[in-house]
Amino acid sequence: MSLLKIIDLHKAYGNEEVLKGINLEVNQGEIISIIGSSGSGKSTLLRSINYLERPSSGEILFHDKNYFQTQKAIQKLRTKITMVFQSFYLFENLTVIENIMLAPKKVLKQNKTFLREKALKTLDKVGMKEFQNKAPKHLSGGQKQRVAIARALMMDPEIILFDEPTSALDPEMVGEVLEVMKKLARSGITMLIVTHEMDFARELSDKVIFMNEGIVYESGTPEELFLKPKNKRTLEFLKRVSH
Amino acid sequence: MRSVLKKVFWFALAFGIIVQIFPRSNALEPETNSTDNLVIQEAIDNIRFYSSYNYQTLTVDKLNRLTADFYLPVNYSDVSITYSIESDYLLINDETETITLRTGDIEVIKVEVIDLPSVLKGEQAFVINATFNYQGDSFTKVYYGQIIPVIPDSFLGGSIYTIVTYGKMFFEGAILTLGISLVGTIAGFILALFLATSRLIKVTEQDNKLMSLIKIFFNKFSAIYITIFRGTPMIVQASFFWYGFGLFGDPLLCGLFVVSLNTAAYIAEIIRGGIQSIDKGQTEAAFSVGLNYSQTMLFVIFPQAIKNAMPAIGNEFVINIKDTAVLSVIGIFELFNQAKKITGMHYRQLEAYAIVALIYLFLTYTVSAILKYIEKKMDMKPVDLVSSN
Repeated sequence: MSLLKIIDLHKAYGNEEVLKGINLEVNQGEIISIIGSSGSGKSTLLRSINYLERPSSGEILFHDKNYFQTQKAIQKLRTKITMVFQSFYLFENLTVIENIMLAPKKVLKQNKTFLREKALKTLDKVGMKEFQNKAPKHLSGGQKQRVAIARALMMDPEIILFDEPTSALDPEMVGEVLEVMKKLARSGITMLIVTHEMDFARELSDKVIFMNEGIVYESGTPEELFLKPKNKRTLEFLKRVSH
Repeated sequence: MRSVLKKVFWFALAFGIIVQIFPRSNALEPETNSTDNLVIQEAIDNIRFYSSYNYQTLTVDKLNRLTADFYLPVNYSDVSITYSIESDYLLINDETETITLRTGDIEVIKVEVIDLPSVLKGEQAFVINATFNYQGDSFTKVYYGQIIPVIPDSFLGGSIYTIVTYGKMFFEGAILTLGISLVGTIAGFILALFLATSRLIKVTEQDNKLMSLIKIFFNKFSAIYITIFRGTPMIVQASFFWYGFGLFGDPLLCGLFVVSLNTAAYIAEIIRGGIQSIDKGQTEAAFSVGLNYSQTMLFVIFPQAIKNAMPAIGNEFVINIKDTAVLSVIGIFELFNQAKKITGMHYRQLEAYAIVALIYLFLTYTVSAILKYIEKKMDMKPVDLVSSN
């Protein structure tokens, strides 16, 4: 039984079809990197998984169950599959610790003292403990992204979706975020990562997916995909990004 | 025996007149003792009248328009007094004109000026002969009066006099203006939260028929509400609700109601703009960790939107300080209406309006400065004062 199963997923904006039938299986504990040129539908796929985008057709099964029935079910799904965004989107009106405590407090209704401890532990994990009472606007991009990861972690999710988590960062901050993600990967959580960091994808992933024009063009282990790609397009893309 | 009684009565009556006139004869209480441009400063043996036409030159023509309340007792020591009523007015007979002084509640006596000043300028003395009738007998009493300039001729002197004499009225007006503006802005803000929310709700596919109808109703309602209240002048709204319906039976409550409703329409648009200016990513981030729509709005979007909108909402308060002047039309004695009343005391417009303009300027400037300080403290983006509605 796979953790997440995507069957023939389509997504269209008007006449423009972005996803043209995606089939994907994600197993427990897998780290999957999704690569591809911009406009290939990587982000849309990721956003469809927790219904930030509504699929036009197709099915997404989480634990073999389709959650897209009611708004309540979708919200429940989102507590199990959280997301980290390219532009962080920390809640600007809340401090670091309030940011990561908001959802567990309001959605999971967890006990406050318990939550506080958990929040500090999580912040410690991403190296942001001493920033707990800072406002997001006083943080650097890398710090913000680490807090965003902590926020995603606080829900004890089964899957975390990373939507180009380092693309909006200054080069010198990319490292600190990737470091945190590596640590997470080792902890056994399932991760889906849309990324342009090829070295990172290669080093960390169990599986790499190359998307092109709305379909999964090629997928395989990092060795298979990076060293001996089967398709010409994949090769072309890899050549382009390696320069 | 009878003549003794007459004497006793006469003294009693004279004393009664003093008691009756005195409370009305203090220039420091202009509400009670002044009508139009005539002030009785002292009674009985020294009735002082005052005219405040510009430059204080009293012509016969101007004197002709003077009126004053003149109160006489109907009862004294259980003796009821009747007066012979010659007319509704006290008459001061001029050789060229008849000058009428309006009487108060009580009926009247005949009064004639027996010693009219020949030059009607500055302080002038005159004498009034009053005739009373009691049980068929008539009595006569002589009142001595003088016409004196109470308010200095010069602008500066007039202004100082106006501030000193009517400072309390200005102050009361300013407090009322501030109060109405503040309460109106706060009430408007609360109402605006509801309006802005209804304006932004959208019907989703998951709503059933009833739910979508309710949502459409609220949405349209707030849209129409905002259009109407932003599209009509507040002076018309105030007149509509007060003269049209006599809402709440109290102009002050009705005025507060109108200001709140009017402000709500403006603040609703400000809040709507504030909500729309929040990055869509904030909503998505909230959704992505499982918050529902109302939790997202309540804990993430609204606090940010309102913080962004706060400077503009503060400006609404400043605008209200100025715009509540139109409530004078429904008889609320806020600052402007007090000024209007004060101009009526002496027919001196310039001084009262100059003073009231300065008070408004002081209020708006001070409130703006305070709001700016708070904005700076709270790290908000300042907004320039927009034009009045």
